[in-house]
Amino acid sequence: MKVKVDKTLAASIALHVLVIGWGLVTFSTKAFVMPEEDSVAVDVISDDQLSHVMSGQKDGKKNNPKPLVEKVAEAKPVDDAVGKIDDKKPPVVTDTAPPPTPKVEEKPEEKKPDPPKKVENKPKEEPKPDEKKPDPVKPDPIAEAIKKEEKKPPPKPVQQAAKPPPEQKPKERVFDQSKIAALLDKRDPTRASITGDTLNSTAALGTSKGKAADNSATWGAMFKQQVERCWKKPYGGIEAQQTEAVFDVKLKRDGTLEGMPVPEGTPSTPYLRVYQESALRAIIECQPYKLPAAFFEEWKYFAPVFTERKT
Amino acid sequence: MTDKNDLPAMTFRLDRRQMLTGIAALGVLAGSRGALAQGPKKIVIPEGDFAPVPIAIPNFAAGTPGDTEVGVGVTQVITNNLKRSGLFAPIDQAAYIEKSINIDAPPNLNNWKSINAQALVMGRMTRQANGRVKAEFRLYDVNTGQQLAGNAYDTSAEYWRRIAHIISDQIYERMTGEKGYFDTRVVFVDESGSAERRVKRLALMDQDGANVRYLTRGADLVLTPRFSPSTQEITYMEFGQGDPRVYLLNIETGQREIVGNFPGMSFSPRFSPDGQRIIMSLQQGGNSNLFVMDLRSKSLTRLTDTPAIDTSPSYAPDGSQLCFESDRGGKPQIYVMAATGGPAQRISFGDGTYSTPVWSPRGDYIAFTKQGGGQFAIGIMKTDGSGERILTSGFHNEGPTFAPNGRVVMFFRDPGGNAGPSLFTIDVSGRNELKVPTPGFASDPAWSPLLS
Repeated sequence: MKVKVDKTLAASIALHVLVIGWGLVTFSTKAFVMPEEDSVAVDVISDDQLSHVMSGQKDGKKNNPKPLVEKVAEAKPVDDAVGKIDDKKPPVVTDTAPPPTPKVEEKPEEKKPDPPKKVENKPKEEPKPDEKKPDPVKPDPIAEAIKKEEKKPPPKPVQQAAKPPPEQKPKERVFDQSKIAALLDKRDPTRASITGDTLNSTAALGTSKGKAADNSATWGAMFKQQVERCWKKPYGGIEAQQTEAVFDVKLKRDGTLEGMPVPEGTPSTPYLRVYQESALRAIIECQPYKLPAAFFEEWKYFAPVFTERKT
Repeated sequence: MTDKNDLPAMTFRLDRRQMLTGIAALGVLAGSRGALAQGPKKIVIPEGDFAPVPIAIPNFAAGTPGDTEVGVGVTQVITNNLKRSGLFAPIDQAAYIEKSINIDAPPNLNNWKSINAQALVMGRMTRQANGRVKAEFRLYDVNTGQQLAGNAYDTSAEYWRRIAHIISDQIYERMTGEKGYFDTRVVFVDESGSAERRVKRLALMDQDGANVRYLTRGADLVLTPRFSPSTQEITYMEFGQGDPRVYLLNIETGQREIVGNFPGMSFSPRFSPDGQRIIMSLQQGGNSNLFVMDLRSKSLTRLTDTPAIDTSPSYAPDGSQLCFESDRGGKPQIYVMAATGGPAQRISFGDGTYSTPVWSPRGDYIAFTKQGGGQFAIGIMKTDGSGERILTSGFHNEGPTFAPNGRVVMFFRDPGGNAGPSLFTIDVSGRNELKVPTPGFASDPAWSPLLS
């Protein structure tokens, strides 16, 4: 017997199967994967605090709250704010330049205080006598210096230069190593002026941390919130008010303890011992800690302070 | 400006500069090391809330068959003690993964961690050949796996409750840092009968309400019983045939005697901390003054001489001072003076009247009954009168007495009407108010010192 099949029904079934089948594949449940937490530290800080995390400069005043601004312009970072400002066209050194005085001679070497980093990879600050100071704005200092040296009547030995009245000697082209000194850039080191939106003539020293922000307020609060859930603080009455227990805690990246937290100091009273133990229990019980992975370097080793002291 | 500008000199200078740079670099290195030596970042966790310690107390194992009952009994007493202290939260046995554990093997801590216990008590009761019972227990810190306490006791079988109290005290002391108070007794006035014909008997019980014993038959009215700090004696006031008198009663032998022989009424007695003297009020006309009597020499010393009612004296634990109630300023207030007498200093200045001061055995507080505005409150204040704190208030709370560790105050509350008074305990922080089970109505409690 032939079964009569309704074509529309068949089509409907086929379509349904198709749609549901497609749905089964595409809507199939997938394990909800939490992406690695990469939180952004958001701290509400005051202007005053902001100024403390600013980078400063070493000859600044300690408590100057504003960054040094020498010229109103678009803010632009300046690496080293020590040299003289050079905003105008660099002066072209010509043969009219006065004969080098001892003072000027001394400049290139003495000018640079030498923090160690400069020795390493900044050749421009390497005070080698045979190398010219590279100055991008200056057309060709070497050529000019050489030109100047050529025009200069006597090739002065450096010793003579030390004497205030330079003597005029018959010009004779001989090689003199002291000539090399003439190749030195005798100008002060220059730099662009520090710009900003408001003028401020005092330099700030900044903090030792410089731009490295302290995110402990963020992850510290997270740790505190988590450890408090496990802390069964013993009740201590009147004498409890001065109690404090400090631990050295090392955490692994997954938030578990790397080892047993180390209490600082031995408790002097039974209550202090009990207090310390209760805090230790809490630290152990509440692991693993969920702390922002971005700050792992900060929270891998820290010291929680459990305290009753009201400060 | 000393530069010579010659090359050899310059080279030399360069060397020196390099040396300087090197030294500077070292300095920076040393500086950074110094910064490391300052230690890790401190994260302050301030003033967490007090919370009771979750503790698991599985039934004590029976070392010999037939001791299951006593094992369960001991466990129940310990659980009840710790729970009533308010400082522990015993976990319901139904939640335990392991129901009974062997005390000889280290516990499987994960089984206790998973039910959030922070402490674990395990024990065993074993019948000895001589009929005595050996009780053993261990207290574990579940998180660190450390054994915090452990002990074994040998006792005759009928004293198993005391063993349970002693173990409770050890757990309490180890976990709170303070002496326990479970192995103690309370003497109180048991009241029975209707409000008109109330029978008052002296009674003695364990601090948890068990083992009630009656010390007098109830023919005469008794009031204000007080424990001796050193002997098994009680001093109290009894209305006999004549004037009310202060008596001394040995609770072991039942022997009793009148303290001193004075004309007029003697009342509100209390022992000195060394147990050698009794301080009390003696009536003289309309006034009463404080006297102290040496129990060995029977010599009587007057401490106050005022035209006022001085009563309810209580010694500081070191015996150097005493507090008492006096209406010398008009209304009853609390005064403090040297134990040898002399000028007294008023320490209570709040509204209303203050009475029945008791110096804490710990020395830090004085508890009192405060009356005002139709309310009777139980409160504590520091011994200089500062830091007054009301623990409980309502109609007719009276007669505070401290537990030997000074952490808990017991008092009685009389709701009035046909109902009678009952005993309550409350923590000195004002938390954890609990009724103490007594067979009938009860008033005038006095806490004993620790028995062991």
